[in-house]
Parts: sequence; structure tokens; C-alpha cells
Amino acid sequence: MIEVKDLRKHFSSGILKKHSTKAVDGISFQIRRGETLGLVGESGCGKTTIGRLLLRLLEPTSGKVIFDGIDLQQLKKAELRRLRPRMQMIFQDPDASLNPRMKIADSIAEPLKLWRKMGKSEQKERVAELLETVGLNPEHLNRYPYQLSGGQNQRVVLARVLALNPDFIVADEPTSSLDVSVQAQMLNLMQELKKEFNLTVLFISHDLEVVRHISDRIAVMYRGKIVEIGDTTDILGYERHPYTNELISPASIEEDALLPGDMRTANPSGCVFYPRCPFAAEICSKKEPGMVEVEKGHWVLCER
Amino acid sequence: MSILRITNLKTWFPTRDGIVKAVNAVDLEMKETERFGLIGETGSGKTILGMTIMRLLQPDTRVEGEIVYKGHDLLKLSEEEMRKIRGKEIAMILQNPTTSLNPVLKVGNQIAEAIRLHQGLDKRAAKEKVVEMLEAVKIPSPEKRVNEYPHEFSGGMRERVMIAMALACNPTLIIADEPTTGLDVTIKMQIVRLMKEVTKQRSMLFITHDLDAAAEICDNIAVMYAGELVEYAKTEAIFKNPMHPYTQGFLNSLPNRGLKPIRGMSPSLIGIPNGCRFYPRCDCAEENCKINHPEMVELGNGHLVRCLLHDRS
Ligand SMILES: Nc1ncnc2c1ncn2[C@@H]1O[C@H](COP(=O)(O)OP(=O)(O)OP(=O)(O)O)[C@@H](O)[C@H]1O
Ligand SMILES: Nc1ncnc2c1ncn2[C@@H]1O[C@H](COP(=O)(O)OP(=O)(O)OP(=O)(O)O)[C@@H](O)[C@H]1O
Ligand SMILES: [Mg+2]
Ligand SMILES: [Mg+2]
Repeated sequence: MIEVKDLRKHFSSGILKKHSTKAVDGISFQIRRGETLGLVGESGCGKTTIGRLLLRLLEPTSGKVIFDGIDLQQLKKAELRRLRPRMQMIFQDPDASLNPRMKIADSIAEPLKLWRKMGKSEQKERVAELLETVGLNPEHLNRYPYQLSGGQNQRVVLARVLALNPDFIVADEPTSSLDVSVQAQMLNLMQELKKEFNLTVLFISHDLEVVRHISDRIAVMYRGKIVEIGDTTDILGYERHPYTNELISPASIEEDALLPGDMRTANPSGCVFYPRCPFAAEICSKKEPGMVEVEKGHWVLCER
Repeated sequence: MSILRITNLKTWFPTRDGIVKAVNAVDLEMKETERFGLIGETGSGKTILGMTIMRLLQPDTRVEGEIVYKGHDLLKLSEEEMRKIRGKEIAMILQNPTTSLNPVLKVGNQIAEAIRLHQGLDKRAAKEKVVEMLEAVKIPSPEKRVNEYPHEFSGGMRERVMIAMALACNPTLIIADEPTTGLDVTIKMQIVRLMKEVTKQRSMLFITHDLDAAAEICDNIAVMYAGELVEYAKTEAIFKNPMHPYTQGFLNSLPNRGLKPIRGMSPSLIGIPNGCRFYPRCDCAEENCKINHPEMVELGNGHLVRCLLHDRS
């Protein structure tokens, strides 16, 4: 369904564009139809950036994204627009993705009006249906986003995204502003949708327990690179990369090893994880590792 | 010594469809240097409770009751007096970092402004302080980051900026609304440690969905449901021995406890029926739960619960 080839995105900042952040640095992977790929990794490692690149909400520096056999880079604006309803993103911060001056009812109905050219009464029906799906009350419809709680707004965003029955969803921390019970509801709902509509999902989250429940496969990211990818049971159980290990059992890390990876001072040669790796050897500082398949479908970016 | 005492607080919003009773008859007391956790359902009134304390709600909101901070009822202060309290005495870390940061101002300048406003430092000293604050919340290369705009930060970094801003003016009471959402495990651990450390000498009202963080940080925890507090106890007791059926169901929906959501939907906050608010979703409910509204009762050891099953009077 989704194929990513050597994708890169470098941001430059500073007055003279001197600093460059390699937010996504040469990433390749695939997501099969109907599959949920979990994407985990420390804050600032480039997860949101990948999500935005996959939907071409952001232009890559280089590399390719192929969606259902279509190379997104080759598409003209109008062709891309026609594809939009099929691929949707749930953004990390729900408040930022709702129009503050638009009532909830109109926010949910907007995509239906825009893309499905639905009439008023049909829209109303669908909105009511979606409202129930995501567990909101009809009394919320006449309100504005500031009149709802963080978790309620997150559900509005989900309703908007589901409105068009998309094939592919990038879900960026979709449950982090929900309470644990509503989170459980949402995750079960996503599982159902996946079964019913064969929905393909890139699920970005910091919560490994949640990722474990929802994902078929997991990709672990560190400083713009995927360092390990494989089946959920392989990654959370038979992990091979020292960084994945660190993610799974953070309690074992020493205090001073807890410095987040600074994307600005990436060492030019060698492994991205080298400076922090407890198993680093001489070679790791010199040679950039390539992906190795340690088991069928389980790849690791590590020399050792 | 109590630093904050809330009595019979009500926060109601008039809307076209009726009055939304977001906070209803909440009583709460915080001791000096206490870390008080507030957990519960999405939309149950946690943020609104925090905003009511800070008096940050729109003017047509109906607020009743008492919020006594260091002996003064905040609801009786003039706007001028309240402004002196905000930031300096009580600081709130708002739930949504994207909308709380100004997108056209450099991050460093936003924090510096807050510091200069309250501490009267000059520009250079403020700038130094900003770098120090960003360092404290583990933003890599803070000297460079101060000159960037919010959109150049990742979600987790923005969250950390919010924390730095709240700490900048050295407040006595911090109201932290979901400060650890969107942070990865390692950074979360650092932030949790940081919050613990910086609140050694202050008090904190810690609003969160992150139960691990609450367990780690808080001395006591209150559980909120549909605008009311339904349970209050020592942190350990809440997790090991929850007494309210809502709290029990809530804990059972954790992913590592089976991901079983509580059945039914969150109740409407307009035209709330008389009986127990959790009645329609409760597996232990009896006939009288539908009619009688339970009061908070103490079960001993300071464990309070609002449930008729435990009310022997
Ligand atoms: N528009 C931009 N301009 C400059 N730098 C950017 C921009 N967007 C992101 N970055 C940088 O790219 C890096 C990756 O950001 P990204 O938002 O993808 O992280 P993330 O993995 O989603 O983190 P989080 O878990 O905190 O949300 C960060 O260092 C960030 O500062
Ligand atoms: N301005 C308003 N007008 C009407 N209703 C409002 C307004 N602001 C909030 N509400 C309602 O008040 C209730 C409490 O909202 P609040 O933001 O305090 O919830 P919360 O407990 O913080 O939830 P979350 O965990 O999702 O952040 C919600 O049901 C919300 O819909
Ligand atoms: Mg992100
Ligand atoms: Mg809230």
C-alpha cells in the first residue's frame, strides 16, 4: 500500500541557514494493505515529519513515496488533491487541527461537503453516525473547539478523519490526550475499522503498551533513521538494537545516558547511536552501518 | 498548613443548549508542598477546575464557591490583584502547547518576556536565564534553540518549553495540565524527575491521564467524574485499593490490564439527573443509586469515596 524509498528531509535554520537538521535521513520501508505499522522513537527524532512526508503535506529533500502504486512525487497538484480523501492525518495536537471559528458540527461535516458533495440532510445523518462512533454527545455539535475538553476535541478530529472512509491514516499520538478508558474505546474502534474496511495505518506513539496492542509491525526510529523494524512480537521481545532495548526498559539506563540525541550535532561518519551506545566498538564510530536482516522480516541497523 | 482550600466550587457555562455544569460542588484542600494528582474521565472538568483557580475563563462563566489561596479568596480579588498572582504565585502549564505558544515570536523571547515581566531582570540576564531553563527541561543545544520559532520544535519539545515557562518565575503553586503528554519514555522520566525536584519546595496540582506519572509524582490523588470528585486517597491506595466502581473500571482499561473500556458513554453535563452520575454505567448499581445522589464519605485513613455502596449512614 505504502512504499517509502530512501526518503530524506533536511530542515535548515538560523539566519544563514547554517544549521541543518536531518529530521528524516534516508528511510525506506513498506506498509502492506490492512496493516498497522507502529512508529516509535524519542521526542524530536522525526516521527511527525515522516507522517507529513508520507501524505505529501511536506516536500521531501529527496526520495520517493509510493501510495497504492502511485508515485506521489510525480503527481500534479490537482491529481494529488483528488487523492486526498483516501489518505488522512490525525495530528498530534487536536486543537491546532480544528478551525477555532467553526462549530463542531460544521467541522465534521466540512469534508463531506467538500469531497462527497453531500446534501444537508445526508450530511446531518452521517455526522450523527460519526458522533456516535467516536463517543460524543449531540450537545457538543453546537459548540466551538474552545468549549470542549482536550480529549473531546481529539475525538472530533477522529470523526473528521473517518468521515471520508480513508484507505490510509497517519495517526500521530491519537490517544495521548484521552483518558485510559476512552483510549481503550478508541483503540478497539480502530481495530474494528481495520477489520471492516481493511484500513492501513501508520501509528505514531510514545506509549509502547498501546503500540503493542495496535500494531502488526513496529519501526523504531532514532535521529532521523529507522534503527530496527519487524513484527511486533520480534521488536517487543526479541529486540536486537541497543536503542530499542533502551526504549523498552528505560529504568535500566543510567542518569547521564539520558541526554536526548541532539540532531544538530550528529557525527558525520559512523553510527547515529554510537555516542550513546553501551556496546559501541571502534568500528561504530567510523563506519555507517547498513540494515541487516537478522530474521525473516526483522531488520536492524547495527554493525554488531 | 493548607495552601489552597476550595469549598463548594461550581463552574457553569451557559450555552444555547442549556447550562453546562462543568465543575459541581468540588471541595479540595492542598497542603504546603503537597503534590496533588487529579485524574479521571476526558471532559470531566479537570482543566476547567484549573482555569477557574487561575481565573482564566470567559466573563460569562458562572463561578460560585470559595478558592482560598494563602488565606485570600481568589474569587474576591480584583483583576489587577489577580494579575500579580498569575505566573508569580500560581503558574499553570496549559494542556495545548501549540495554541499557547505565539507562532510568530521566537521561543526564547517568549520565555524571556515572562521572566522580565515578573522578575524585573534586564534583557541580558533574562536571556541567560532562558538558556538555563531550557537546559533544565533537557532541550538539546538551548543557545541555538532560543532563536527558533515554535513550528521548528517537535511536539515534545514544545511541551517542555511550556514547563520551562511555568517554572521561570518561581511560583509557589504549579497547576500542571497534562505536562507529560506526547513525551517519549526517556524524556518523560526526566520530566517526571524534574517536576518532582522542582516541586520539593512548592505545591503542585497535577492533572494527568498518565497514571504512571501520577503514581510516581503525587502524594494524594483525586478522581473526577462528570464534574465531581468521586474518590480521594493516598496515591498508593488509589492504585492498590480503588473503592469507587468508576475508579475500578478506569484502572481496568489500562492496556496492560486488558484494555477493557467502561461500557456506555460519558454523561451529558447539561440537565444532569438526580442520582449517582455513574449509575447508568455502573455494574454494581442498585435501585437507590438511580434516585439518591451520594455524598463523599470517609472510609478511614483519609480515603474518601462518593458511592452509596460505601455509605452506611
Ligand atoms: N519546520 C521545521 N523547521 C525546522 N526544523 C524542524 C521543522 N519541523 C521539525 N523540525 C525539527 O525536526 C526534528 C524532528 O521533528 P519531528 O516533529 O518530526 O519530531 P517527532 O519525532 O515527531 O517528535 P515528538 O515526539 O516530540 O513529536 C526536530 O529536531 C525538529 O526541531
Ligand atoms: N466554554 C465552554 N462552554 C461550554 N462547555 C464547556 C466550555 N469549556 C468546557 N466545557 C465543557 O466542560 C467539560 C469539562 O471540560 P474540561 O476541559 O475541564 O475537561 P477535562 O477533564 O480537562 O478533559 P480532558 O481530559 O479531555 O482534557 C467538558 O465536557 C467540556 O465540553
Ligand atoms: Mg511529533
Ligand atoms: Mg483537560
